[in-house]
Amino acid sequence: MSDILSLAGKRIVLLDGGLGTELFRRGFPQGGCPESWNFERPDIVKEIHASYFEAGSDAVLTNSLGGSSIKLSCFGLSSRAYEINRKAAELAASVRPAGRFIGGSMGPVGKFLKPQGDLDEAELEAAYAEQARGLHDGGADFLLLETQYDLREALSALKAARRSTPLPVFATMTFDRKPRGFFTIMGNTPEACFRDLAAAGAAGLGANCSLGSQDMAALTGVLRPLTALPLIVQANAGRPSLSPEGKVVYSQNVSDYVRFVPEMIKNGANIIGGCCGTNPDYIRAMAKLVRS
Amino acid sequence: MSAKDDLLLSMKTSVVDGNRAESERLARESLQAGLDPLESIDKGFAAGIQEVGVLWENGDYFLPELVASAECMKAAMAVLEPALSASSRQASRLGKAVIGTIEGDIHDIGKNLVSAMLQAHGFEVLDLGADVKLERFIEKAEAESARLICVSALLTTTMVNQKRLIELLHQRNVRSKYKVLVGGAPVNQAWADAIGADGYGENAMAAVRAAMALLARG
Repeated sequence: MSDILSLAGKRIVLLDGGLGTELFRRGFPQGGCPESWNFERPDIVKEIHASYFEAGSDAVLTNSLGGSSIKLSCFGLSSRAYEINRKAAELAASVRPAGRFIGGSMGPVGKFLKPQGDLDEAELEAAYAEQARGLHDGGADFLLLETQYDLREALSALKAARRSTPLPVFATMTFDRKPRGFFTIMGNTPEACFRDLAAAGAAGLGANCSLGSQDMAALTGVLRPLTALPLIVQANAGRPSLSPEGKVVYSQNVSDYVRFVPEMIKNGANIIGGCCGTNPDYIRAMAKLVRS
Repeated sequence: MSAKDDLLLSMKTSVVDGNRAESERLARESLQAGLDPLESIDKGFAAGIQEVGVLWENGDYFLPELVASAECMKAAMAVLEPALSASSRQASRLGKAVIGTIEGDIHDIGKNLVSAMLQAHGFEVLDLGADVKLERFIEKAEAESARLICVSALLTTTMVNQKRLIELLHQRNVRSKYKVLVGGAPVNQAWADAIGADGYGENAMAAVRAAMALLARG
């Protein structure tokens, strides 16, 4: 079911907002493995997905950002990668209203390829392929490689996901604003990322995390000329900080965040959602704006 | 330019280029030529690392270049360090730094960069890894007579443990023995001030600068 692609051709498609932030708000402990709650607290994961659908998301992303076997190994859960991802998609699908979509979220594995790290491409592809299969079997409609900072890793992931499932695969990289323009921490430019990921068969391309909505709107304008594919942007609610009382505060509230959304649309974004620090209130405000 | 200046410049260039084999070769060559290893470190390799830091802050260099240059420095130090006299070995070392990602947090990319850059700048770095218990930072610093404790936190939910670490240092009456540096994506100067840390680095280079300034102040 790749209807999300045709929908993106007709109107702005709305994704969801932050998932981690919503888990923490419901008592998820610091330092835990968010994906473990797919089994331990499925009610809460479902409740969060449902709240985003209710707020107006056309698609929600599964609780599987850190669901690769390599990332899960930090918590001794690597052998359960397939079932964790499958369950992640099943939970989202179980609360999906008719006509909405489930995106299988796949984040970086947290380790570097050689020579910066010890990983080789084969290990990386095996991990992403397993994750993609789990998400597909659990009912995901599309896959989203997100918060990717290394083009080589994103390409391995894309290759693995396309080879192991028939689903359309979107990819969003995370860029920082540097004096000479936007770059990933590995130094990959938007030009290189979009060129190589499109050549490798991505169904949509974009950027997420790192930037607040103002910088993301500017980046949208940089990205649009680089591809004819659907353009996806998911900004953070500005920068996080912790008050001395230990309360997490993001620098952009709903109205400050949403006022840059028209610029994202004007600059050519097709698929828009939120990232860290955003919640259903942000999505509700965005829905009001894009649907009006 | 004298042959020595030439060699020192080549050392610097090898680090800036991230050419590890060349850094190692030049380190050996400098010993054969009778150069003072301390001078090779200071005016050759470390000068290269400083330039890499500037390139990084300007957005010309990225993580792969930083890692490659830190590897050059490590390779050169492995050759030069045994040749240093006991006194100059002391002089080449700025002091011991205990570093780790705080309890509850498994993210170590930023911490590894700071660790590599501190090492490249002459600190003896004791890297405890990620998800390090508060007590472990203190035990290691005490056991090794470290001067610096560097604590990374990538999550807004684990940052609060940086505050707890400082409280624990006070409780154990050892707070004044150490300079505490905090860092990590959500951390900023206001947070560092609020929890009573001695310093903060927005990035790996800034962390090194803060560490050096703190130790210079004694």
